[in-house]
Amino acid sequence: MPKPILELEGISRDFSDGKVTQRVLSDVNLAFYAGEFAIVAGPSGSGKTTLLSIMGLILRPSEGRIFIQGQDVTDLPEDKEATLRLENFGFVFQTPTEIPALTIIENILVANAVQGTKLPRGLKEKALTLLGDFGLSEYAYVKPRTLSTGQKQRVAIARALINDPVLVLCDEPTSALDAESSAVVLDTLKQLSRDDRRGVVLVTHDPRVFPYGDRLITLEHGAVVHDSRETVRERAPA
Amino acid sequence: MRSLVAYRMLLHDRASTAGSVLGVVAILFLVGQQLSTMFGLFTYMSVLVDHSDADIWICGKFTDNANSTGQLPTRYVDRINGLAEIEWSEPVITTAGETRRKDGKSEGVVVVGLPAPRLSGGPWAFEQGSIESLLDYDGITVDNRDLELFGNPELGDVFEVNKKRVRINAVTKKITSFGGTLVFTNRTKAREISNLPPGRCSYILVKLKPEVDVDEAIAKIRALLPRAEVFPKDVLSRLTRAYYLINTGIGFSFGFTTLMSSLVGIVIITLTMYTSILNREKDFAVLRALGGRKKDIFVIVLYQAVMIAAVGIFLGFLLLAFFLNGTRDSNLASFVPLWFPFVHAAFTLALCLVGSLFAIRRATRIEPATAFR
Repeated sequence: MPKPILELEGISRDFSDGKVTQRVLSDVNLAFYAGEFAIVAGPSGSGKTTLLSIMGLILRPSEGRIFIQGQDVTDLPEDKEATLRLENFGFVFQTPTEIPALTIIENILVANAVQGTKLPRGLKEKALTLLGDFGLSEYAYVKPRTLSTGQKQRVAIARALINDPVLVLCDEPTSALDAESSAVVLDTLKQLSRDDRRGVVLVTHDPRVFPYGDRLITLEHGAVVHDSRETVRERAPA
Repeated sequence: MRSLVAYRMLLHDRASTAGSVLGVVAILFLVGQQLSTMFGLFTYMSVLVDHSDADIWICGKFTDNANSTGQLPTRYVDRINGLAEIEWSEPVITTAGETRRKDGKSEGVVVVGLPAPRLSGGPWAFEQGSIESLLDYDGITVDNRDLELFGNPELGDVFEVNKKRVRINAVTKKITSFGGTLVFTNRTKAREISNLPPGRCSYILVKLKPEVDVDEAIAKIRALLPRAEVFPKDVLSRLTRAYYLINTGIGFSFGFTTLMSSLVGIVIITLTMYTSILNREKDFAVLRALGGRKKDIFVIVLYQAVMIAAVGIFLGFLLLAFFLNGTRDSNLASFVPLWFPFVHAAFTLALCLVGSLFAIRRATRIEPATAFR
């Protein structure tokens, strides 16, 4: 049995506006593995993005524990969380989030050097290679505004990969794309998940994305109602 | 990378950046202009002390500024000349006067009568003529900035001060006093012009021999002249400036306008930088989501504040230099001590950082979860 990259135990998350407290996630127990393309599906308001934020150490759970490669990271100070995030995760957001003031290659490199560290030798070449892999070499030194949305999402994937993360977290990355661009992005993510050093988790409400995943997790009202991995395990002979 | 991000964001947000730079320029120029005028007025206030070639001034009792020294007996010169420390001592007469121009208009002047033949305490810069021309009994100087006041006279022109005949023998260059239009003459003429009785003078200038300890010499002079005030030159200069700063409205006026200029600048910087942060909220959220800590965001915004300050300070000094150069030959008092640009730059940088505090606070509070919205 492979060891999980990320484990969530009893994760719950509440949001409060000062008057009313709403439980957005309720007792979520999940584990994510390298070489796996997991899709977390559910209707709007089911807690998908909150789950992704907690997985990426962007939000803290109200209850439960988070383990990254066996290490409990639930109560780490903010600075350490940020460093863990930088070292372990790559993010692809719903809408392109390249910083418009930076060139494409700078947008990729900032994911490594945002904490002020010196760029490692060869990182720029690696960024250019990634851009080349996504057919975007010629755009390395231009500003994001010259790119299409689909191209920007591919840049976002390149940025997510620059630090060799163990987990790539994607929040509805194709929601703003047409069918053709969506297919390109999803194919790319599928390819990435084949690498046995990393896993990919994609959050979506679009059923057309489901076939790309190896695993389907369904959330409803903040709870996991279906996990195809568990179903497969249940069905597998002992 | 953080400095690059800071720099690129500033360039990208040109309007906000320009506004912030304008705030810095406002602080630097307005405060600089106010203070340069004040420093210029300082030089006017103590001009006679600062440019006297004496080490010590002996004035009337209770003197608290060099432009109002009272009277003292001229025989004090004889009493102190016996001291070994003294190279020379000379009495000087100053008096208020009224001139009558060719066109019949009158102007108030301050007449400084210098002891012949040394003419110590006299003018130090000339546009026309020289100090020796004051040895002429009727000889008087007018300053090049005051020529218009006197009806644009020429060398050799004769007019009256307190109905006493004087002749313009020299034109000094930019010698202005806070107390009024300065004219120099010899002591004999000044006594004629003034109502000062014989045997009295306004102050005594004392030059010490080389290597003499000033404090020791002063102690000895004070022992000999208990009814006079004895000042080292620099002390009297400071006292004179302090007198005008405190006893007139100048200190408050300049202080208030300097404060207001600083506040205006800080408000401009605060608003523009804060607006810029709000416009870039998503970008900062993404940086946090990618692994940026609060302190990394702090550093980025701090870099921006420093860059804005650097550009604003440079432009502000350029503007101030133009202003000072343009008013160099005017009657406007302007003076910039050597230390002032450095202190002023540091002060402006500090104010810019203060103005950026709200922006820094706002930026560091942006949550990475905002990147998901």
